[in-house]
Amino acid sequence: MNCVEFRRQLAIDPQMTSADFVQHRAECPRCAEAHARALAFEGDLARALNVAAPAQLAEAILLAQTTAERRRRVNLRRASMFAVAAALVLGIGVVGMRAEAKPLSVQAVEHLESEQEVLALTAPIAAAEVAATFAKRGVVLKQVPDGISFVAPCPVGASKHRSVHLVMPTTDGPLTVIYVADQKVSAAADFERDGLRGRSLPLGNGTLILLAKSPAEFDRVEALWRAAISG
Amino acid sequence: MSPVSSKQRQFDALVRGYSGDLFRYAYWLCGEEALAQDLVQESFLRAWRSLDSLRETAAAKAWLITILRREHARLYERKTPQFVDVDEVEVADMREALTPEGSGEDALIRAAMLKLDVKYREPLLMQVLGGFSCEEIARELNISSAAVMTQLFRARQKLKAMLGGEPIEAQVYELR
Ligand SMILES: [Zn+2]
Ligand SMILES: [Zn+2]
Repeated sequence: MNCVEFRRQLAIDPQMTSADFVQHRAECPRCAEAHARALAFEGDLARALNVAAPAQLAEAILLAQTTAERRRRVNLRRASMFAVAAALVLGIGVVGMRAEAKPLSVQAVEHLESEQEVLALTAPIAAAEVAATFAKRGVVLKQVPDGISFVAPCPVGASKHRSVHLVMPTTDGPLTVIYVADQKVSAAADFERDGLRGRSLPLGNGTLILLAKSPAEFDRVEALWRAAISG
Repeated sequence: MSPVSSKQRQFDALVRGYSGDLFRYAYWLCGEEALAQDLVQESFLRAWRSLDSLRETAAAKAWLITILRREHARLYERKTPQFVDVDEVEVADMREALTPEGSGEDALIRAAMLKLDVKYREPLLMQVLGGFSCEEIARELNISSAAVMTQLFRARQKLKAMLGGEPIEAQVYELR
């Protein structure tokens, strides 16, 4: 290997360990020097590329997967029940009927059951991450409320992953906030379901849903999100 | 142990083991944190659905990167901003573009990396972040090994030029 060939290899792969590469480096001080500089640059490059991943990335992925898996099983079960019922009525075999859309409040409560793990999170997360998750769904927050311990894209609502799921720990226990960005209820309503208290209200172009064991903090949290979304 | 739970455990291990690496790959591919996060999540959901096709755990990272690249092509390719050709970029522009928390040499390299045309950036990512050989990169990108070598060579040459490193000895470096 000559100097030209060595320098070419150096720019293609500085970690190269082939025998003729190593031999030229041992024999040619100038190329050995270039090799040392190249390795230093590779170290700098590797360090610069090593950006930190979002803190809850693995958890968010696993949640999305287990939720999708549960939904798939529920849908299969529901589809087969419908098929049986329809077959009984019509006297024929029917496959793959679609369940009609449930009200958002019902969807939210059912969804929460499958994502209970996140209620235990208490460490605050970065405002930038919250803002980015909303921005990705076309919602620009005027400000980010304090005290959010979890944020993730969420399947609640008609179109998949147009919602944002958050947890805000309060003195009264964890409060779940779900913002459905592209579906707007006509009026605000409080509800109770499966031992959970809830509130849904139109906000911006979407619907804000609050869920907790007690409604004590609903007014305070609603005000925070009104300021964040409508300003 | 039921087959479902062993599949779930394998998936958990993949997510915990590789989501960070995959995020970094996605980030340098699309240059945007929120997009990268979504891309990684979509890729893992896809990986879950085809987990049976992963034969050896040793190949998991390459397999996941392949899924991520396809997912990126499918979802975002049309939205990817056009990257400025490196030759037109002054280092002074890059210094101005830096955010306050991103000062220093790392930040300069990061800015240069994002300005590198994706044609040069991707083989470099595969080599530096993915640990792929030239032959593996060639197979993944469906181009010849010689073309991969040329792109890796140019990628480093352009990065160094943007970073104002040592002058390039043109006659030594010239590739034909
Ligand atoms: Zn030499
Ligand atoms: Zn959710």
